[in-house]
Amino acid sequence: MSFRAAFNNTTAVAAALSLALAGCGGGGGTGNTVGGPAPSPTPTSTTAARLFSDPAAESLSIADIQKIIAQAVGEARARNLPVDIAVVDRVGNVLAVFHMNGAKARSFTSKFISFLGTDNPAPVEAQNVDFLSPGGAIAKAITGAYLSSGGNAFSTRTASQIVQQHFPPAPTTPGLESGPLFGVQFSSLPCSDFSSRFSAGTAVGPKRSPLGLAADAGGFPLYKNGVIVGGIGVMGDGDYGFDPTILDTDNDAEEFVALAGIQGFAPTDLILADRISVDGTLLRFSDARIGGLSALQTNFAAINGSAGSLIAIPGYNDAVIVAGAVYGAEASGIRPSTTAEYSNRDIYVFSDGSGANRYPPRAATDGVAGALSASDVRAVLEEAFAVMARGRAQIRQPLDSRIQVSISVVDTNGAILGMIRSPDAPIFGSDVSLQKARTVAFFSNKLAASDLTAAGLGSFVIRIRTFLGDATALTGAIAFSNRAEGLLERPYYPDGEVGRPPGPLAQPITNFSPFATGLQTQLVAGNIVQHRDFLEGKGPDTPRGCTAAPATPGAPNRIANGIQIFPGASPLYRNGVLVGGVGVSGDGIDQDDMISFLGGANNGGARAGNGLGNAPKAIRADTVIPPGTNTRLRYVNCPFAPFLDTTTQNVCEGL
Amino acid sequence: MIDTVASILAPLLGLAGSAGGADAVVSMPFEMPAARNPAQTARPGLIAATVLPSIQFAATQAVAGDTVGATLAEEPALAFPSAAKRAKARQPRQLAFDFSDTAHAAATAKAPLITALAQEASAEPMAAPAPATTTASAPMNTRAEAEAAPPITPDTALLEGRRRPGYQKDLPERIEQMNIGAVRPPPPEAFYGKEDEDYPDGVQRVGMNVAVPDRWRITSSLCPQGGDRSIFVLYPNLRAVCHSTRDPFHHNVLKGDKPIDAKHKPGFLHGNDWFFIVNAISDTIVEPRSFPIPVGNQTTERPGSDDTFGNPHSLVLAQTFITGVSLLKGQTVFKPPIVEYRLTLATQVNYVNVPERRVLNVKPSKNSDRLDYFVGVQEAFVDYHLGKYDNSRFDFFSLRVGIQPFQQDFRGFLFQDEQLGIRLFGNRDNNRLQFNLGVIRRLEKDTNSGLNSVVQTPRRDYIFLANVFRQDFPVVGLTSQLSLTYNMNREKNHPEVDDNGFPTRPALLGNLRGRNYDVVYVGYATDGHIGRINLTSQLYGAFGQDRNNFFNSEKAKIQAFFAAAEASYDIDFMRFRVSGLYASGDSKPYDNKETGFDAINENPIFAGADTSYWIRQTIPFAGGGRAIGLNGRNGLLPSLRSSKEQGQSNFNNPGFILGGAGFDADLTPTFRLSGNFNHLWFDNTATLQALRVEGSIPRSIGWDLSAAAIWRPLASQNIVLRLSGAVLLPSKGFKDLFAKQGKEGQFYSVLGNFIVAF
Repeated sequence: MSFRAAFNNTTAVAAALSLALAGCGGGGGTGNTVGGPAPSPTPTSTTAARLFSDPAAESLSIADIQKIIAQAVGEARARNLPVDIAVVDRVGNVLAVFHMNGAKARSFTSKFISFLGTDNPAPVEAQNVDFLSPGGAIAKAITGAYLSSGGNAFSTRTASQIVQQHFPPAPTTPGLESGPLFGVQFSSLPCSDFSSRFSAGTAVGPKRSPLGLAADAGGFPLYKNGVIVGGIGVMGDGDYGFDPTILDTDNDAEEFVALAGIQGFAPTDLILADRISVDGTLLRFSDARIGGLSALQTNFAAINGSAGSLIAIPGYNDAVIVAGAVYGAEASGIRPSTTAEYSNRDIYVFSDGSGANRYPPRAATDGVAGALSASDVRAVLEEAFAVMARGRAQIRQPLDSRIQVSISVVDTNGAILGMIRSPDAPIFGSDVSLQKARTVAFFSNKLAASDLTAAGLGSFVIRIRTFLGDATALTGAIAFSNRAEGLLERPYYPDGEVGRPPGPLAQPITNFSPFATGLQTQLVAGNIVQHRDFLEGKGPDTPRGCTAAPATPGAPNRIANGIQIFPGASPLYRNGVLVGGVGVSGDGIDQDDMISFLGGANNGGARAGNGLGNAPKAIRADTVIPPGTNTRLRYVNCPFAPFLDTTTQNVCEGL
Repeated sequence: MIDTVASILAPLLGLAGSAGGADAVVSMPFEMPAARNPAQTARPGLIAATVLPSIQFAATQAVAGDTVGATLAEEPALAFPSAAKRAKARQPRQLAFDFSDTAHAAATAKAPLITALAQEASAEPMAAPAPATTTASAPMNTRAEAEAAPPITPDTALLEGRRRPGYQKDLPERIEQMNIGAVRPPPPEAFYGKEDEDYPDGVQRVGMNVAVPDRWRITSSLCPQGGDRSIFVLYPNLRAVCHSTRDPFHHNVLKGDKPIDAKHKPGFLHGNDWFFIVNAISDTIVEPRSFPIPVGNQTTERPGSDDTFGNPHSLVLAQTFITGVSLLKGQTVFKPPIVEYRLTLATQVNYVNVPERRVLNVKPSKNSDRLDYFVGVQEAFVDYHLGKYDNSRFDFFSLRVGIQPFQQDFRGFLFQDEQLGIRLFGNRDNNRLQFNLGVIRRLEKDTNSGLNSVVQTPRRDYIFLANVFRQDFPVVGLTSQLSLTYNMNREKNHPEVDDNGFPTRPALLGNLRGRNYDVVYVGYATDGHIGRINLTSQLYGAFGQDRNNFFNSEKAKIQAFFAAAEASYDIDFMRFRVSGLYASGDSKPYDNKETGFDAINENPIFAGADTSYWIRQTIPFAGGGRAIGLNGRNGLLPSLRSSKEQGQSNFNNPGFILGGAGFDADLTPTFRLSGNFNHLWFDNTATLQALRVEGSIPRSIGWDLSAAAIWRPLASQNIVLRLSGAVLLPSKGFKDLFAKQGKEGQFYSVLGNFIVAF
């Protein structure tokens, strides 16, 4: 419940000061402000033939999980805040959900509007949705696990910082652009056709999250020996919100409880969000500091049953503690590719738990002229991967680590034609890369308007056509990159410019919050509510396949895991005809842009031949200036100093 | 990924820089010290008026100029107080150091003269005054003094024809009053002829007009008043002193060359010797340049802008009118004025055109050019001469309150600005010891002009300063300065967004939390010459505490160092210079010690000043900080501030190393050519690496090559044309950080500056 604390400046600051003081005394010889070990730079490569090293085989044992829960419960009791605690592994298996006696059964998504500085009197979209609190705990735990990697430790507080209308959110930043991962909260959705679902006895991930990703403080990643092994989420105050300002230091009880939980499993200083700069602004891992923790309680037996108990969550956990999967092992659903699958030994694939690659390169299902062949897909994936492997990560420590991402290729039906990832790419990017690929293929598609109308969102078609001054918009005349599409879904157009009207696909700023992003939210809101009801035992689970868009041959529909509205995907064209999209997500949005645009579409297209490549320049979205805005859409933004092997800059110039 | 406007275009300071830079480059021989330049000596107004860059900096420069040697070396303290003060202060110096015959005569006549002046100033006649009119030629030493003088020895003997104040090689014959029966000259009271002053006898004499109202009009009193020019037949040379009253380039009441005529003096001005000075300067800048410009984040000017860096070419045009008035009471030539009131406004119109969006304004929908204007109050002060501390050597104490120019060291490394302050300054020991003691509260600056904005609440930033200069220490010809500067910043809870919508305090770096800091600069500097080697040097240590290290949100100790030296050697009309500078960088951003040196508001006249690319142009810290400049306009330090003028000091910076050489060639008395060749490095790129998330940024910045031509058609500062060009040849570190559309290459800076001064 960060935002109320955020506005209670005096107490928050006073508390922060006292915490800081206490932290000085109690920090001890080892560790950092969040209890992690002293930094020890991790090598980036172990094998001469490879550019990446495999994450070591670590996982949460049942004893680990018990200890984590006990620690969190101990802190919650010390704070008199009964909570729900969820622990997940790296691929999102819910390992345990512990419900403390007296914890608030229901929570509400925040209806707070930063722009107004108060609650939305008429909440819209996913604002003010009530749900069973454990679902919030699971979403937070998954967020901590999914956003983090061996090179970056992000929390739900970090997520809050990168999904709001200005980056970073603060009273001093109006006018600046939106957060780099604007919209990421609507990923790994319960309706995703990509994310796997709970099935007792199997650990194949990445798993879905009941509420997507969370921005409410109280979700952290868990580490063992420098390897990310999962996440913890704590829900207890009934408010599932976000932090509208990073300038203060919140005193968030949920966050302290979660911080107690990760003791012994905390990340090192080196990889904390606090060490990762985006455009010079450092991210934030936690406002809670170990100095503010009570004495750690580590005995699970002492609290199990007395303070609360493990509970079952339909679709997630059967009220038992399950040991975490070893990431990278077949059972986790993510493993190194075999030599039969890819010659590049750094490529990881998504597996079904039985050894079968879930998404090997395959031919398109759409039958368009010049449709993608399996080898086309392979070329796009591998060339994107090659650019990734040369590149410098934006959000990964130590400095000059290679970029790690997930890469997806889809056809114009939204069918998954292939997915790969690097060994330690953050998990969230799996679902997001697919969302991105589908988003660009969808909005560049001639059927976009009719699909949206069929999904009951025809009003957005009208709005975008009015906005662009183009009555034929969304019929394939414009090639949308994810960056361009996302700019239409910001509460200001141009992005961040206060006083401007919203993009045609967005909520106005007076309604905007991370729970109301406009079209993106509305496409999946029904699925989320359906799943919410399912968790309460009211009705069936949401189907595999988000949105009410019309079904397509190769997939539930063209946007079957929801759309994504931050950069990192390029549509694929062959001789001027849309044939699909390549989406990338991982270590930085400009990096994602470069990998999709330069690696996937350009290099991959060139390798595949027959005219495959990026959209013709003349139809790219950056040729479009919506009337009256004096603001051109952007297509991609390739990063500064992108490569580790050369100082070449502006590597996408002229492509 | 933004450039603050201030950094792109700080016209005013830019102007200041440009003018100063020109002079800096120019340096000594060209720029005669005002005291020795008849035109300037005759025009205290001109010098005083130069509130701003242009000429004032010229004066400063001349002061700081290393070749000036002893004569100039003693000047800084006075120079910093103000140009006007400088002008006045030159006289004593000249007495002390200029061994020309007339000066010597004046020196020998000093004691009585001072007495007479003191009488005027304080109306307390000193003992045994002698008629001033007789002093210049009469031997002044009393018998007692002569007897007390040490015996002449070979060691103390002077060269033939050279004389030293207070010493006479061969004592003149003792004068005995043998004129028996002669009438004594009238007592001094008999010469009182001033209005509105009480006479020693207590009798008021009103309207006692004499033919020559004051000594400034001695010569011109014979000038024809009407159409009758016949006197020129009798005295043809009289033409040389008879000019139109509207001619500012000869003795003119509006330029403070002559006091306000008693007949026209406003009633509220009491007493005599009120001078009125009007200044008007036009400063024009045309500046095409290129620098790494990031494309807009949310939108771009052109389609196909798919990378971080865009078109680098941009243009700045700025026209500044500096207008001021000064009213002072004093004698201007022989001693500091008793009181001075000064007001100077700078009016600037500036135009910038850059090729990319969101460089000039935070709003991406704004076009990428901008026309702006501003009127800044650059001087508004009262200077009160604390007469009771005067001594017989013309040493003085003065108190100045209001917006005033100040420079804390010889070259402007730490602080040079026109700011609101209270300052006590003065000199002692025959002007060989000079000091400043002051408190400054910094005014907010207009973002696009860099001019003082008095309509905004002043910043919560305070400077407490003290410095003392000692001439001929440690060696003859070298002036030493010790300084202590305490910068107290309390802007933690007062965020500021600049005129273009970019947050400027706190800077968009790190945790973005507001911060306070306290830093004390301990400085030692020298300026002057050792033998024929002209030398300027500066050492600073910065010590204090930053209450919020933006890297780790904790308190951090500040401990940073700075050293710079410039030596030059003159051969005929050529001067050859070598320069070296070191500013420490921060090696461990996340620790609790900040070791990157940053100044308060630098405006360095060094290594070519704004002729050089690096000093003149601001490089946006693309990718490492939004609205952050790698360096500041007219600044040396790559201290990653939001703005040199409006931003806070930042001690988390990479530091800086400069090594270079240059030359100045005074090809004719009106034409100078200068060249500079500097190589630049960061001291430690750890902070850049942390902010850019880029682990391998080499230290080398590149070669900065520049040349400047200055033409002063009148051989004065009244018309100055300067054209300079510079090119930055990036080395590995710069290439690693920045580029432009079309990938690699050089960046250029051209500066055309045209100054006309009234």
